[in-house]
Amino acid sequence: MENVLQIVWLIPFLPLLGFLVNGLGRKYMPKAMVSIVGCGVILASFLMSIWVFIHVREGGGYVADYFNFIVVDKLKIPFALQVDELSSLFLMIITGVGFLIHVYSTAYMHEEKPEHFGRYFAYLNLFVFSMLLLVMGANYVIMFIGWEGVGLCSYLLIGYWFKNVAFNKAANKAFVMNRIGDLAFLIAIFWIIAKVGNANYADVIAFAKAGKFGASDITVITLLLFVGATGKSAQIPLYTWLPDAMAGPTPVSALIHAATMVTAGIYMIARSNALYSLSDLTMHVVTYVGLATAILAATIAVQQNDIKKVLAYSTVSQLGYMFMALGLGAYSAAVFHVMTHAFFKALLFLGSGSVIHAMSGEQDIRNMGGLGKKLKITSFTFLMGCIAIAGIPPFSGFFSKDAILLSAFEENKALYAVALLGALLTAFYMFRLFFITFTGKFRGTEDQAHHVHESPLSMTLPLIILAVLALAGGWVGIPEVFMKGGDKLSAFLSPVIPVKEGESPGHSTELALMAISTIAVLAVIAFSWFRFRGYQRKGEAQGLAKVLENKWYVDELYEKIIVKPLQQFGSFLNDVFERSVVDGLVNGVGRAVSYSSRQLRLLQSGQVGSYVLLMVLSMLLIFVLQFFLRK
Amino acid sequence: MNALLLSALMGVVMMFSGIVLKSKAAIRNIAIAGMLALLLVNILEMNGTVFLVIDSKGMIGFDRFALLFNSIIFFSTFLYLTLSARDMEKVGVNYAEYLALIFFILCGIALVSSFRSLIILFLGIEIISIPLYILTGSDKLNLKSNEASLKYFLLGSFSTGLMLMGIALIYGAKGTFYTSGINMVNGAISPLLIAGMLLLMFSMAFKVSVAPFHFWTPDVYDGAPTVFTSFMATIVKAGVFIAFIRLFDEGFASQQPKWKLIIAILTAATLLIGNITAVFQQSVKRMLAYSSIAQAGFMLLSVYAMSPDSKEGLILYAAAYCMATIGIFAVLIKMSDYTFDGFNGFAKQQPLLAAVTTIFLLSLAGIPLTAGFMAKFYMIKAAMYNSGLLWLPILALVMAAVSVSYYFRVIQAMYFRESSTPSTLTVTPAFRYTLVALAALVVLLGIFPNLLLAWLYF
Repeated sequence: MENVLQIVWLIPFLPLLGFLVNGLGRKYMPKAMVSIVGCGVILASFLMSIWVFIHVREGGGYVADYFNFIVVDKLKIPFALQVDELSSLFLMIITGVGFLIHVYSTAYMHEEKPEHFGRYFAYLNLFVFSMLLLVMGANYVIMFIGWEGVGLCSYLLIGYWFKNVAFNKAANKAFVMNRIGDLAFLIAIFWIIAKVGNANYADVIAFAKAGKFGASDITVITLLLFVGATGKSAQIPLYTWLPDAMAGPTPVSALIHAATMVTAGIYMIARSNALYSLSDLTMHVVTYVGLATAILAATIAVQQNDIKKVLAYSTVSQLGYMFMALGLGAYSAAVFHVMTHAFFKALLFLGSGSVIHAMSGEQDIRNMGGLGKKLKITSFTFLMGCIAIAGIPPFSGFFSKDAILLSAFEENKALYAVALLGALLTAFYMFRLFFITFTGKFRGTEDQAHHVHESPLSMTLPLIILAVLALAGGWVGIPEVFMKGGDKLSAFLSPVIPVKEGESPGHSTELALMAISTIAVLAVIAFSWFRFRGYQRKGEAQGLAKVLENKWYVDELYEKIIVKPLQQFGSFLNDVFERSVVDGLVNGVGRAVSYSSRQLRLLQSGQVGSYVLLMVLSMLLIFVLQFFLRK
Repeated sequence: MNALLLSALMGVVMMFSGIVLKSKAAIRNIAIAGMLALLLVNILEMNGTVFLVIDSKGMIGFDRFALLFNSIIFFSTFLYLTLSARDMEKVGVNYAEYLALIFFILCGIALVSSFRSLIILFLGIEIISIPLYILTGSDKLNLKSNEASLKYFLLGSFSTGLMLMGIALIYGAKGTFYTSGINMVNGAISPLLIAGMLLLMFSMAFKVSVAPFHFWTPDVYDGAPTVFTSFMATIVKAGVFIAFIRLFDEGFASQQPKWKLIIAILTAATLLIGNITAVFQQSVKRMLAYSSIAQAGFMLLSVYAMSPDSKEGLILYAAAYCMATIGIFAVLIKMSDYTFDGFNGFAKQQPLLAAVTTIFLLSLAGIPLTAGFMAKFYMIKAAMYNSGLLWLPILALVMAAVSVSYYFRVIQAMYFRESSTPSTLTVTPAFRYTLVALAALVVLLGIFPNLLLAWLYF
């Protein structure tokens, strides 16, 4: 019997259709029409995703093989989509959160001209299509197509206001940094194909499980994949593009740079868990890069004054946590955190969008304050998001963060301590942001004060839904301590991600750890309340604060040690190497050809007699060759 | 068999149509209709419908390869007539006769594509050659045309002599004209047979302008009226190539070790001389003459590789090369100045014609997404898989790269140079549409080569 899941191609296809309709019709369609098409296709995909999710829960995964995409000799790359526990979960996140953000966008982007409004939704639909392709592909090549697609859409949407030069530069930076990672990913794919013979997940995993990979192969492949992931998921050293990417419209930041695209790297590694588990070296690299990113980004976030920049660094930091979890082998904890993070970070970004909307484009929190009274829904839902990310039970962030901290504790106590420090920093900068923005006195201009208003329903409704999810989204992964069989998520994912074996530290230790982290977080929140409730603008930051405000000078460092030398190398190649060596070689070949051309031309004398002579001589030569020189 | 008879009949019809009809348009329409009918009966034969069966005692055999090849030839001639038949009026007064000669040449091609006996091969080659001598000299008041015709005739006779001598030697060695009999190995290999084989090879090489027997080509192509150069350089050349591959496939397959290296040397020489000499030409017409030598080098790879792959490659190559070259010539005929400078600023004056010409040039250079790329790909693939000599396909690749330089000179002139004189060029809408369709076909075959090759098997 044909499997009903054969029609899953509709899920990515519908947003693609939306892209085509909105993209081609952007000059002719009114905004309402664009909104209906743009949101409608995502809603349809979301409903189908639910249907798929239910099917997968009952009947397991399925690979739908449509046609051969690339056939070269023995290598076949099929265009095949895979729905299993992991991808169906991501489908729900992408289309669900994606739909809410689309709805939000219809109000947020309301002041754009119809043409640009259509362009915006076309890009957004194209992004969802690419992202769905990324998670649904049944082999690394399809994943790579989606991977490149989301990178392109990210570039297009960061540079959406293309008349602003700085925004275009931010878009370029994001694109270039992603390309560095993409190259590594691509090499890894070629490496896999060279070893396995194709790039299907099933075959690669079977190959890995049979132990056919060499130890060095597996290390190089996994490291290359990880480099790819650091580009897309903004980890050290390729993270600096993400804060700059905040140049895009805020809903874009919420969808692409918080909830979905940046988690592609985590998806990729979780998908390849069978490979990663074979290489201890890579696992350690992933763990420590993740941890370092988490701490570094959290310290930077403490001193940022742009509301979106704080959230951006917070995203980098949270992604670091997820990588740390991956490196510790707690794949399902990482996926769990992807899910809860998608809820509360999308909520926070959309909340910040609502604030920016109310403040007529103002993004500097030093010019805000006291907004809680006027923006009731926004401030309340924002608070929910802050509590969730800080990790206070029973909010979703608590459960996922707890799962990660616990696996850190099992690995190494020092690791746990540093990770906990990061979690406290998170609570600190989030509540700093909240108190400075929503409490105290208003510090903006008269004009702004007059204008401040709550956003329309199409913006607040997604906020409310996301707030509910930020509260309850973590209840699918309640640890065993509280409820027998409470960790439904790990059980659900177990066909794709094997449940980690090993002794747990015991229930009493686990409870103690939870208590410690919760109490510490509450203490930090209290501290920031006293520190920031009556925030007043201060002068230039000094000392460490200045270093933090300048993001540890990492951008400047990159400029000095990478960009400048590269430019110098480039000008050396251009001025010396190319002029004398390459040009000389190329022109030399050209000159040789044109010289021999001129000489050969002389053979063409126009005299029939000489032609016959040349022909007869050549014939004689061939006869000699045939009868006397060859045996 | 259908096409063989109808083409001879059409030749006669065209000859008399010149006496009966006064309107050149009517004559042209008869020719084009006849061409379509020719294509049609040939396709019918591919599907198994033969109107008149003549017992040739096994001297002629139409197989699938021959029929498909003929279809390509007829289709190309059809395109050629639709694009350029009007331009034959300018050559001279004997309009109907020119068309009649073209049909006789097609009759010759039908013969050489299906010969099983060396007698038929000789007959076919002569039926092709003699009308060509006439067409080359058809611009009677032009000295260059006369000179070219005489040169062609002298050198052609020389090659005919070689062929006859070769056939005689082979008959002496084997006692038969049938290719199947010649191919049979019994006892020691007679030197007579090898000498005869080489002489046949030389005369065939002459006909398809393979170096070092190519000397006539630039002079004749340059001297002949351009409209007939187009026909000679494409359809006739491709038509003789099928005889070449058939002769060595069916007649001398058992002697492969004896001729493989020599063919390889000839191929290399042709590729080198054709491509390198083309670089320095100042006239587009002469450049195309050398380019046709260079392309012959590529087609010769199929004889060299001699495998089912290479036959597919030749089919594709013939189609790609004919279509692109006919297209370029059709535009060239309309130009007043045949030098590269004559194309300056062409893109501004005639954007559409410049665009399609660019597609044809890209195809000749073998740029991906055009039929020329696929054709070169098949040829080089066949040569790689079926030989011990790796240097030959590599040389072919390098020479394909060199060819880009002279094909792109035309594109450069069209798009990046300013014109000094205003354009006086006028073309009919039908001409435009046909060219666009032709360009579309070139791209289509570049993406789906199997559209054509599938015919070989089904």
